[in-house]
Amino acid sequence: MAKVEAGMESMLEMYIFETNTLLEQLDEILLRTEDANVFSTEDINEIFRIMHTIKGSSAMMGFENLQQLAHKGEDMFFVIREKPEIAKDAHFVYELIFEVSDLYKAEIEYIQTSSDDEFTPTDFSKTFKKLMDATERLKAMEGGEAPAQIAPEAASAPTAPATGTQSGTMTVRVFFEDGCKMENLRAFLLLTKIKEEADVIFCEPHDVESNADSARDIVENGFFVTFRGFDGNNDAVLKTIEGAVNVQSYEIIDEAAVAPAPPAEKAEAPAEAVQQQPVQSEAAPAPAPAKAASAPAKTAESNAVTKAQEDIKKANGGQKQSLISVNLAKLDTLHDIVGEIITTESMVIANPDLDGLELESFSKAARQLRKLTDELQDTVMSIRMVPLAGVFQKMGRIVRDMKIKLNKDAELVLEGENTEVDKSIVDNLNDPLMHLVRNCMDHGIESDVQQRIAADKPEKATVKLSARHSAGEVIITVSDDGAGIDCNKVLAKAAKNGLLTKPESEYTEKEIQNMILLPGFSTNDVVTEYSGRGVGMDVVKSNIEQCGGTLSVESEQGKGTRFIIRIPLTLAIVEGMKLRVGPTIFTVPISSIKESLMVANNQLLNDTKQGEMIMIRGVCYPILRLHEKFKIETEVTNLEEGILLLVDVGGKNVCLFADRLIGEQPVVVKPFPKYLSQYNIKGEGLSGCTVMGDGTISLIIDVNNLISTS
Amino acid sequence: MAENLNDRLKELLDTQKAMEKKKKEASDAELTKVLTFYIGEQVYGIEIPYVIEIIEVPPITGVPGVPSYIKGIINVRSKIVPVVDIRIRFGKEEIAYTDRTCIIIVSTGDVSVGLIVDSVADVISVTEKHVSRTPDVTEVNSNKFIKSILEMNDGIKLVLDVSKLIDEHASEEIR
Repeated sequence: MAKVEAGMESMLEMYIFETNTLLEQLDEILLRTEDANVFSTEDINEIFRIMHTIKGSSAMMGFENLQQLAHKGEDMFFVIREKPEIAKDAHFVYELIFEVSDLYKAEIEYIQTSSDDEFTPTDFSKTFKKLMDATERLKAMEGGEAPAQIAPEAASAPTAPATGTQSGTMTVRVFFEDGCKMENLRAFLLLTKIKEEADVIFCEPHDVESNADSARDIVENGFFVTFRGFDGNNDAVLKTIEGAVNVQSYEIIDEAAVAPAPPAEKAEAPAEAVQQQPVQSEAAPAPAPAKAASAPAKTAESNAVTKAQEDIKKANGGQKQSLISVNLAKLDTLHDIVGEIITTESMVIANPDLDGLELESFSKAARQLRKLTDELQDTVMSIRMVPLAGVFQKMGRIVRDMKIKLNKDAELVLEGENTEVDKSIVDNLNDPLMHLVRNCMDHGIESDVQQRIAADKPEKATVKLSARHSAGEVIITVSDDGAGIDCNKVLAKAAKNGLLTKPESEYTEKEIQNMILLPGFSTNDVVTEYSGRGVGMDVVKSNIEQCGGTLSVESEQGKGTRFIIRIPLTLAIVEGMKLRVGPTIFTVPISSIKESLMVANNQLLNDTKQGEMIMIRGVCYPILRLHEKFKIETEVTNLEEGILLLVDVGGKNVCLFADRLIGEQPVVVKPFPKYLSQYNIKGEGLSGCTVMGDGTISLIIDVNNLISTS
Repeated sequence: MAENLNDRLKELLDTQKAMEKKKKEASDAELTKVLTFYIGEQVYGIEIPYVIEIIEVPPITGVPGVPSYIKGIINVRSKIVPVVDIRIRFGKEEIAYTDRTCIIIVSTGDVSVGLIVDSVADVISVTEKHVSRTPDVTEVNSNKFIKSILEMNDGIKLVLDVSKLIDEHASEEIR
């Protein structure tokens, strides 16, 4: 069957995006409340809002199973909302909602990946059953004190008791525009909106979101809804109704006459005049019990508070307006264009035709242009920057789940989650981080609490995720305070797997620790659900390398392990120094250059393997001849004729030998063409290429790789 | 190896000729257009839909760590395109580039490659009666880049299988 109705495909992407965002929010709230072991009214309302929106949009898209699922979840929270205390220590609630959230994510992924023909909605009936059981259980826990209103059905049952007599309620009949289609869903959406402003007591037809036939009813009779505005503010609700999409007209029907009466008879009810009275009269007694309990202060000065709330809502509304979501592809295009502009700018300013001319006003204008393009570039980059918080918070879920499954007590500490990184990098970080966190939980933290106590560590283990900026890089560390890496174990395992390339005694501690990043390495004796299948660390490493980063391990036995991810802040534009080697022009990122120098013969030394070294201010540095490294023919082979560039990466220093320096220029990094991705060019020490002002191509040197391969 | 290829192909051609004659009555409807070019004396062809453009040889930036037939990368209007010397790829001797040397930029969807050829000849219309398919002898290494063989009045033309040329050797090279 087709996934979505014709005409809805364009909405699908939006739906998926929105629902995923909502699910993430849901997870976050649940994690927080589970920690605190109490639901605040705010949290519950937020959960309600999320469930509701998901329900509504799923119904809109025609994903009936998803809609049902949200509906059942909502039912459960309905009970909790009435009496938040009962959810205390009710772990099954969390388990269940997490399960629901996971099912959602799985289903959405399925919707995304499956083709139209093979798509069949997953059957959630088991989960429905569980949710209903849980709802019953909660109700039972609540005991006999529950007022009739609490049962979810009561809200929609036509016999809703007592509502008619309570002041402050209002019934409205809404008509939708002729031929706007799917009236039932529009009614449902309207209902959702009203619920943000008021308690909906009754509506007719009551099964709008699940019963497509109700659309006809609505067309014929209109959609009846009885509600009581929060703090008696029914006017706001009316405004909402008025402002809702596709609403053609509405009329207000007196509440006393209406609530128990069947809809057909409501038709002739009088309008406007009646409405004024109840609104004014209800100030003190009306607010819903739950609301009153949570914020007793509000009842006292209901009008003032209502006003304040309205202001807040307006403010929120304004904020929402200032954010737009943009298709990433458009940003990529924008980004490419800015790259082109910068290249073109260099083409103009450094145009060979201008050589030797005194052009005062041109230089001035050129400087101005450079300034503006710099700003433009910064702005475009900043658009693409998103905080890491989203990815980090997802890890909370993993720690929580594994804590329970592995029976290890641990907490996740986040640090610097507001650090911003390019969107494309953030997307690529999710999987590696997940792997690393799992690794910390599974392998890092001691499985026996006694071991921790014996080692004088707190019983509760800590997994720490931190992020910070450092010189054009983002450094993300995932650390635990567990047992650390056992070098002997690693070495033995490596020997067994045939990963050793030299005698065991020659390996340094650091080398051994980094062995766990090799393909096919796993020290865990038992394969668990989470890790230890031998895939993992090497995949993590290559994932990170794909987005231009590096991964390293630091560990102290008995104290813990730290995984350090270094990722360039922006992938695209770097300040580069251009060097000429024979016919080839290389670009070295300025950030890795310490200094450039000409040499005198007396500074040069040879080590035992005939490697060349240079003594600068009492320190010896090895020399790497670029023309030898890249097998380029050049006339400049005498070190004294060329130039040396002292580069520094992660504490390693090397002097690169080139023919001469050409100059400094911001360059737009382009990846090598796809066709070449099968060859290990990156391993040769080149990270990409760039088009220079004159149209020729320069190769960008990745100093880190260059040093490690030579 | 180059002679091998041609000998082999001619051999296979002979065996096919009889069969092909029957086909000759087949329709004269145009199947496709083919861009033909020379490598030495032999005429090769590439189906037009694969061809993006033909350019002169610009300065080529060499790239380390790649097979010798990949001459490097060039800048085609701000797009970086790798270039392959067809001569070396087909095991012929390398010759210096002349005025006539061209780069044919071909593309299969997301991968673009420039092919260095001795000179470009013509664009010809191919009808069914010209085509004799290659026999399915995949173990003949050089044969696998040939998609079909055209028998024209002015000689035999070998149509290259661009997607194999671009993709297949990738897996071969990795091995």
